[in-house]
Amino acid sequence: MAILEVKNINKSFGRNHVLRGIDFTLEKGEVLSIIGSSGSGKTTLLRCLNSLEFADEGQIIVSGETIFDAAVNKRPSESELRLKRLHFGLVFQNFNLFPQYSVLDNVTLASRLLNKGTKEEIEQYALELIESVGLKDKVNSYPCELSGGQQQRVAIARALAMKPEILCFDEPTSALDPELTGEVLKVIKSLADKHMTMIVVTHEMAFAHDVSDRVIFMDGGVIAEQGTPRILENPSSDRLKSFLTSF
Amino acid sequence: MTNFAEQFPIVFQSLNIGFLQTLKLFAVTLLGAIPLGLIISFGSMSRFKPLSAVVRILVWIIRGTPLMLQLLIIFYFPGLVFGQQLWGGGENGRFIASAVAFIINYACYFSEIYRGGIQGVPHGQQEAGQVLGLSKGQIFFRITLLQMIKRIVPPMSNEIITLVKDTSLARIIALQEVIWAGQSFMKGSQGISGAIWPLFFTGVYYLIFSGLLTLLFGWIEKKLSYFKA
Repeated sequence: MAILEVKNINKSFGRNHVLRGIDFTLEKGEVLSIIGSSGSGKTTLLRCLNSLEFADEGQIIVSGETIFDAAVNKRPSESELRLKRLHFGLVFQNFNLFPQYSVLDNVTLASRLLNKGTKEEIEQYALELIESVGLKDKVNSYPCELSGGQQQRVAIARALAMKPEILCFDEPTSALDPELTGEVLKVIKSLADKHMTMIVVTHEMAFAHDVSDRVIFMDGGVIAEQGTPRILENPSSDRLKSFLTSF
Repeated sequence: MTNFAEQFPIVFQSLNIGFLQTLKLFAVTLLGAIPLGLIISFGSMSRFKPLSAVVRILVWIIRGTPLMLQLLIIFYFPGLVFGQQLWGGGENGRFIASAVAFIINYACYFSEIYRGGIQGVPHGQQEAGQVLGLSKGQIFFRITLLQMIKRIVPPMSNEIITLVKDTSLARIIALQEVIWAGQSFMKGSQGISGAIWPLFFTGVYYLIFSGLLTLLFGWIEKKLSYFKA
């Protein structure tokens, strides 16, 4: 059974029809890359999965549990919503670390507030995660003391601390200087090697090609083409062809 | 008495009593205006349009007219129009009327500072809390609040130091604060008359107190400088 089923997601902002019937499934342990030009709906799709936006139509099913159905519960209660959100993790383009907390506190904050174990357990796990993203020596640093690449790696550790079933990345390297993208992509790749289920919205074509199991190309709010990373070498649609030539 | 050395202890004692009234008005204004300002800022940011419109008009009127005028109106209006001494008589009545005028006036200024502070925290902070499964209350108290406080400390310290000196406006309804106390020695009080130096000397009180506040706010800013918001 697929870990994620997305069915006929439609979303409009006013007259702007951003998502026009998105369907896809994702298997456990797979890495899905979503590519496409700006304004094609990639970010909105991720935000719908994370219940930051609510689709006007469609369903989202995680491990057989319907977590969103536009026909039934367009606006679930806040406590329901909080549980639904925990199926997913989200790493933002701009990191959005909490500036007043140290690296360790950024990673442990939510677990502590939601009582996800004893203080020692939570800290132990956080330290493991911080080490796994290569920032053991920055545990007590504050976000303003870190480079963009380091901040984004903390953000990844923070998302992993809540043990999401599916980890989403919204253009995780777009706000970084080119020389810093590598360290973040390396961390994402190491997660892929550990079979973390991930959805990565990205403009890094080489990365999408090397790390993904599947690639979705979005254009004008629809999935214009999808398949294995091979579609990046041999696109069948004209739209993907012309998109790839711009890189 | 014409000898400065003889005058000083008498004047000093009077000014101290006056400055105590100044401090009392300062403290009561802060205690009232800090929370009331928060309520007003929520009102002005309300999505319920009629409420936010009414609140914004109130803020416009209060910020757009002199505090001295507001003091006069609040003090005299109930008596003149309803023939009733709403504030009670004497020094106590003058103090209550002054406090009401100052609290309303400063709450309106504070509300705008709060609004800027709340709206200045990037929306991504809230979303980062949401995707981690935190509640609205947890997001406000554990994530947004301190960032907001850091943002409002400089403008708030400005307003609060202005308040120290604005308390002297209560002199217009004869509140017996430090300026009133200093002035009394010009007309004649406790055997001293025609002395102008006590009035000038009141400036020392303001300088020392605002100096202490400047140090306090500098310390708070420094305490919050470990992070960038």
